[in-house]
Amino acid sequence: MSSRDHPGVAALPNPGWGPLSALPGNPLMWVLILSEMLVFTAFFALYAWQRATDVAAFNAAQQSLDPLMGGLNTLVLLTSGLCVALAVEAISGDRRRRARQWLAASMALGVLFGVVKVVEYADKFAAGITPDTHLFFGFYYGLTAFHFAHVLFGLGLLALVTWRTSVDNVETAAAFWHMVDLIWILLYPLIYLLR
Amino acid sequence: MTALPGTRRLLATWLTLMGLTLIAMLSARLDQGSWAPLPLWSAALVLIVTGFKAQRLLMVYLNLRAATPAWKGTFVGLVIFTLALIGAGYAAPRLGLV
Repeated sequence: MSSRDHPGVAALPNPGWGPLSALPGNPLMWVLILSEMLVFTAFFALYAWQRATDVAAFNAAQQSLDPLMGGLNTLVLLTSGLCVALAVEAISGDRRRRARQWLAASMALGVLFGVVKVVEYADKFAAGITPDTHLFFGFYYGLTAFHFAHVLFGLGLLALVTWRTSVDNVETAAAFWHMVDLIWILLYPLIYLLR
Repeated sequence: MTALPGTRRLLATWLTLMGLTLIAMLSARLDQGSWAPLPLWSAALVLIVTGFKAQRLLMVYLNLRAATPAWKGTFVGLVIFTLALIGAGYAAPRLGLV
């Protein structure tokens, strides 16, 4: 499809992608973001339903968590998201070196997120708390570990685009990283704050 | 390539997100060191703040503001739907519905 055949198409970020044409960045990344959001929404709804049937036990189990550590990790991930957004801005201005510096900063913060998470897991296991201890911890470990797997994959993507730095590559990896951020924004209050 | 948010907008959004995170933590009364159940208004504030954070991240970091209203509505609608499910699950036992 060309913009000459279809007036107005040139204004779209991704002409030729049908309904996805109007989305900025890599359209397939948006498909992934939407599907990941739906998967996590299903898990969140399941958690909320299970909690509603046994509030006292869920609240008691939740006291073993450290919401300040979770909050710290939220701030770390949001700052990492800023760095990756600045990397996109830099590479779009053809400032490759600066983009790589922002990507490195973003990865360093992603690693810090992982370290805090591992410390949290180690504390729980040292206290004898496993996914079998209570259903709450099954959700806690399951949801945060699934998210953590996305963090690790995202770090790999960021490393890859730091090596193969182009506008499209950085924009695509950044979108994945922001999705990881978005999921954590929704996960944090559910698991750590609401009681 | 779509017009990207500038440095000032990105920094302003980051500051907003950091501030909203702190507001959510205060709304959850982490400063009081108590594990008493939250009042419903506190829980509602936590969810509203979370929704606004997600909206800012979608619009600025993910640059969804450059998309059509239909796509913006789809993603923001999904966030609202998710938070509504979480809120319903939280409020139902408190209101004696479960």
